[in-house]
Amino acid sequence: MNEHVTRWLDAYHDGELSGRRLQQVEEHLAGCEACRAELEALSALSSLLQESLPIENLMQPERFVAQVGLQLPRRPERTALQQALETGWRLIPVGLLGTWAFVQTLFVLVTGLFLAQSIPLGQTMLASIIPPGSGVSWLDELECFTGSNNLIQAALCTLGHGGPLGWAVTLSLIVLVSIGLLYWSWLASWWLRQAKQPARLEQNHTI
Amino acid sequence: MQNVTTSAESTESDLISRAQRGDRQAFGELVYRYREGVVNVVYRMCGDSNLAEDAAQEAFIRAWQHLPGYRPESPFRNWVYRIATNAALDVLRREKETVNIEGISLIATSAGPEAAAESDERARRVQEAILALPPASRVVLILREYEGLSYKEMTETLGIPIGTVMSRLNYARTRLREMLATYLEAQ
Repeated sequence: MNEHVTRWLDAYHDGELSGRRLQQVEEHLAGCEACRAELEALSALSSLLQESLPIENLMQPERFVAQVGLQLPRRPERTALQQALETGWRLIPVGLLGTWAFVQTLFVLVTGLFLAQSIPLGQTMLASIIPPGSGVSWLDELECFTGSNNLIQAALCTLGHGGPLGWAVTLSLIVLVSIGLLYWSWLASWWLRQAKQPARLEQNHTI
Repeated sequence: MQNVTTSAESTESDLISRAQRGDRQAFGELVYRYREGVVNVVYRMCGDSNLAEDAAQEAFIRAWQHLPGYRPESPFRNWVYRIATNAALDVLRREKETVNIEGISLIATSAGPEAAAESDERARRVQEAILALPPASRVVLILREYEGLSYKEMTETLGIPIGTVMSRLNYARTRLREMLATYLEAQ
């Protein structure tokens, strides 16, 4: 005989078990009279509890609602600006995600543009876009960028050349870090707001 | 607030959103919809219909005050029940836990022990046994047995982990089985 499943019987009785645990309990119950008796006792208790007295002498629903209405304190209505701010606050993560996607796309485009330097056609195209003799060694920057192991190294290396690639990498890095910080700040404030929702049972019952 | 309707014309989310903006009539409809459940929970908690109605009204007033902060992530019912259970606990504390279970206004027993039917006596004992439970276990039992909340809903309503819900429910049932053994054996 397997170990008794007493600790799961409440959950089983309440229909809260599923999957493997449910199967385990059902298999055990099929062969264990003691656990079946426990389960029957739980069912009997539930039936008995339903026999508790009905609530009597309650006021009519309409009267109850009216009485509540009379006691409701004045509450300043939320202005359109407050509602807009609230909606805006809730949309912050979407905005951050959009900015992140935009910066990433821009970064990929810029990187692609510089990688095009490695093929003759790309060099011709870039030469038509960027005037020659600007004093920037594209190939040096490109070599530095592709030879780096990570974004920070690439940023420091390319920035050392003073070229646009370095600035692009650095800027994207700063923006991504800022987005990350803003997102975590928003998450922290969201968590704090959630924590301020109706007080928990064991704590002070402020609501 | 006077023209309360129970029609399904207005969806719950619409009513909540209007009430959040200060619409008292919309809030009145919400009160109408949840009155029975809230009164029932509070009554089972404190065992006195007058106290229960006072606590239920108090709960709805608190709900009105805090409605702008309500977030629809959790069902409105769970949110209201949480406020209701806290209001019931406050009422019990104000009464200094002196809600004398012997003196509870149970109408069915007012005719005297001779006239009281056996079923009424049993129902009275059930009520007394529930009231003898610690409030934390009592509320879990009430939400489960009388309101049919799932464990997950109870974690949202009471703000406690599911393990705590399970242990409190188990404790409540074990104690009730001890206290009501006579009636359970007779079944």
